[in-house]
Amino acid sequence: MDTSTDDSAIEVSPMTLGQFYQRLFPHRQFYSWLNYKAQSSSMTFTHREFAFTIRDGIYIRYQSFKDCEEFQRELARLIPTRFEIGAVFTAQPKHAKSLQPGVFKPVEKELVFDIDMTDYDEVRTCCQGGSICSKCWKFMAIAMRIVDAALREDFGFEKLLWVYSGRRGVHCWVCDERARQLDDQGRRAISGYLSLIRGGAEQGKKVNLSSRTANHPHVVRSLDIIEDYFEDVVLGEQEILLTRDRWLKVLAALPDEDLRQTLDTQWQKRPDRTSSEKWSDLIDAVDRRAAKQKGKFALTMFERDMMLQYAYPRLDENVTTHMNHLLKSPFCIHPGTGRVCTPIAADDFDSFDPLAVPTLAQLLREVNEATGATKGKEYAETSLGEYVDVFDDFVQTLDPGNEADVAMAGSLDF
Amino acid sequence: MFSQKAIKRGISGDTQATPEVVRHSRYPHRLSVYSDPPELEVSIEEFESFALDRLQVLKAIEDAQIRSSNEADRHTRISSAVDAHLPLHTNRSKLPLRQLMAERRKDHVSHFILRLAFSRTEDLQSWFLRHEGLLLQHRFRDADAQEKQHVLATMHLPLVYLAPGEGMDVRGSYYSKQDALFEVDFEHVLDLVQRMQVVVNKGRALVPQAEIATLLVHEFRRQLSRALAVCAKALPQLGEDERLVPVLQSLSRQSVRSEYQPTGAAGEVTADSVDSLAVHFPLCMRHLHTSLLKDHHLRHGGRMQLGLFLKGIGLGLPEALVYWRRAFSNLTDDQFQKGYAYNIRHNYGQEGRRVNYTPYSCNRIITTNPPGPGDHHGCPFRHFASDRLNAALRQDGLGEAEATEVVELARNGHYQVACTRHMEINLRKRRTEPAEELRVDTVVSPNQWFDLSVGNGKLPESSRFAASAAQPPGMTQ
Ligand code: SF4
Ligand SMILES: [Zn+2]
Repeated sequence: MDTSTDDSAIEVSPMTLGQFYQRLFPHRQFYSWLNYKAQSSSMTFTHREFAFTIRDGIYIRYQSFKDCEEFQRELARLIPTRFEIGAVFTAQPKHAKSLQPGVFKPVEKELVFDIDMTDYDEVRTCCQGGSICSKCWKFMAIAMRIVDAALREDFGFEKLLWVYSGRRGVHCWVCDERARQLDDQGRRAISGYLSLIRGGAEQGKKVNLSSRTANHPHVVRSLDIIEDYFEDVVLGEQEILLTRDRWLKVLAALPDEDLRQTLDTQWQKRPDRTSSEKWSDLIDAVDRRAAKQKGKFALTMFERDMMLQYAYPRLDENVTTHMNHLLKSPFCIHPGTGRVCTPIAADDFDSFDPLAVPTLAQLLREVNEATGATKGKEYAETSLGEYVDVFDDFVQTLDPGNEADVAMAGSLDF
Repeated sequence: MFSQKAIKRGISGDTQATPEVVRHSRYPHRLSVYSDPPELEVSIEEFESFALDRLQVLKAIEDAQIRSSNEADRHTRISSAVDAHLPLHTNRSKLPLRQLMAERRKDHVSHFILRLAFSRTEDLQSWFLRHEGLLLQHRFRDADAQEKQHVLATMHLPLVYLAPGEGMDVRGSYYSKQDALFEVDFEHVLDLVQRMQVVVNKGRALVPQAEIATLLVHEFRRQLSRALAVCAKALPQLGEDERLVPVLQSLSRQSVRSEYQPTGAAGEVTADSVDSLAVHFPLCMRHLHTSLLKDHHLRHGGRMQLGLFLKGIGLGLPEALVYWRRAFSNLTDDQFQKGYAYNIRHNYGQEGRRVNYTPYSCNRIITTNPPGPGDHHGCPFRHFASDRLNAALRQDGLGEAEATEVVELARNGHYQVACTRHMEINLRKRRTEPAEELRVDTVVSPNQWFDLSVGNGKLPESSRFAASAAQPPGMTQ
């Protein structure tokens, strides 16, 4: 699984994690991110909830820190196996218990999204459950492109941080002030706007757009993006029509029993036809039938709806809709894979390769082999460096004054 | 009854309401968003009867939300309630001025009385907000262009009109060139954004003029919600007036059943009988119960929500200790005693401040302490993703269409209405002979759900709803 046999001997343990937090974790940039203001600690950091998962799965909520140093110290002391970022509250969360109920309330948080590959199990054929490969990861690239475009073009947000979740999914942190201020209703609205796939496991056809909705600019743009991939990814690599098992699943979405049978018989005679060829059979048959039964809406929409059903992003609504929901922080280590939750450059969704993301083991080896010339910035000499650069670039966009401040703070460190 | 000015000008109440006359009257406009309180004296009889009439209307609206499957039917039901209890005629209706003014005054005064009565608790506030919003929406729909313009003007909405042909680059193929649109920050039309019924561009929503009602209601509710919060703070000062307080209390008590008093419909409940009663649990409690059986554990929020509910259905303290001890089968006796028993006794008022805690209301479950990862508490209609809710309903035996209907209600924010539908469908299935159309009150408490389910759709004689604010809100903890 890992790139080098040497590394597999190094486990994710309190010892190795401790080293990671001390030598590699980009505290400065992390702090600048959540602090938003260049000068002095602001509420967005000091009143921010952190939740730590420490040894034996003990989960401690309502942690908060007065500044970067305290945060750094506590990370090194508690060595959480992972930690989550929550909302900014009316008071410092560590004092929550001593406050009157009703006084302690969340006031803002980044708008967040979570896309998890397990939600694609019904459309991907290469892997299931927790595993991913470069083939199904393309669904993530599609999802990121579609959500990113909608957030920027439609909602006007600009400060988007995409993060690999360490195993099989991605998170998006929308950090614009306007997004952070949204109440739950606003979050629910955006989440609803971005959800097109409805219905549970038993439902064959899960996208049913009216002709009006199908003309919505967001749908039109999403389909444009999907078209870049559908042939190669969904038909070519995933081969969703290769075997009878698979094509029956697709045919189940056809609102016409007769057509379903015809195609099934036809393909049983010619099972060797590729998914692309079978897809053409399917679409031709649907078009012919739709033309014959004029105005049979369900059929004319079929191709479009199915493309969306197979490639449109599947968001975990619950993560988005509550301001008070906690989400795993960037630069945590995934305990199962050992991989770092790294930022993903927003202009480069297609080339991000989750399997190339460095593991804790690899990084510790690299940092031990490094010259040490970049003390305080040791990540720069490891494969983590390029990801910290992406993060750095992002953090710079948050506050114009930031650039100078980070440089200054960095120079004061040593 | 008329403004001083009007009387001075010698306008008598029998004068027919010509536009000129109305314009100079106390209430020149039919529709109001109640920005200013009434300045007139009101007798205590009027006070009560006005308020009761308005309440009838709001309750009819609530009822129509649950009963009506389509917009037209809903509209008819609400119209008939409005006509009966709170009619408002237009300036062109040719009625005597006296009658026009009386109607408008009643509308104005009754709104403010209910504002007082319903500001006392958060549950009451949210009920009032929702239904006043729907009332305004209903009236706006029937209003003429002039009336609409007037209400919009009073709301000071930051919108920009786009004439036909304007803003072509953002209309896409979604709007036609001829559509008259307006542009507003998307935060003002969240309902439309959520259902993707507007184009959003760089944070601005392009809204068809026909949807302006949505915007109006949204803004009205926002302003009213603030006003209610202010009102709640001012309320304790009203405590001196002994004539007013009982009236206000009885008003909210007979409308919103926000604090349901459990009845013990199932009789004495023992640790052994809890599991078999689970068929009568609402979805939230069913989910907690199943998770408890599966994991042999529940986190704090879940223990509180389920624990107090069980207490409400009649599980006494000794039996509760037995029940929870058995359920947490992975713990040693010592762990249980140290970590959990105190908490259970606490819920029954045997420890700590010795408060006898009551079961959570739906509103509380829905609006406070949302579940985090690993939590099972909360309301499934509010906190489950649609997929998951759908699956849970299907598992409970709902057909595909039925489940979709309920999920749709929940998606649109009608959580309790969705839960009520769920129960109605369940009860209908249980009845053998085709009964008359089943109607149950909106679910406001999981314990009410339980009692209704046990009683096959009827609440026991002894049931009652108590207004929670026997003490002013400022004093509650
Ligand atoms: S509406 Fe009330 S009873 Fe129904 S599931 Fe939600 S909290 Fe439970
Ligand atoms: Zn794969």
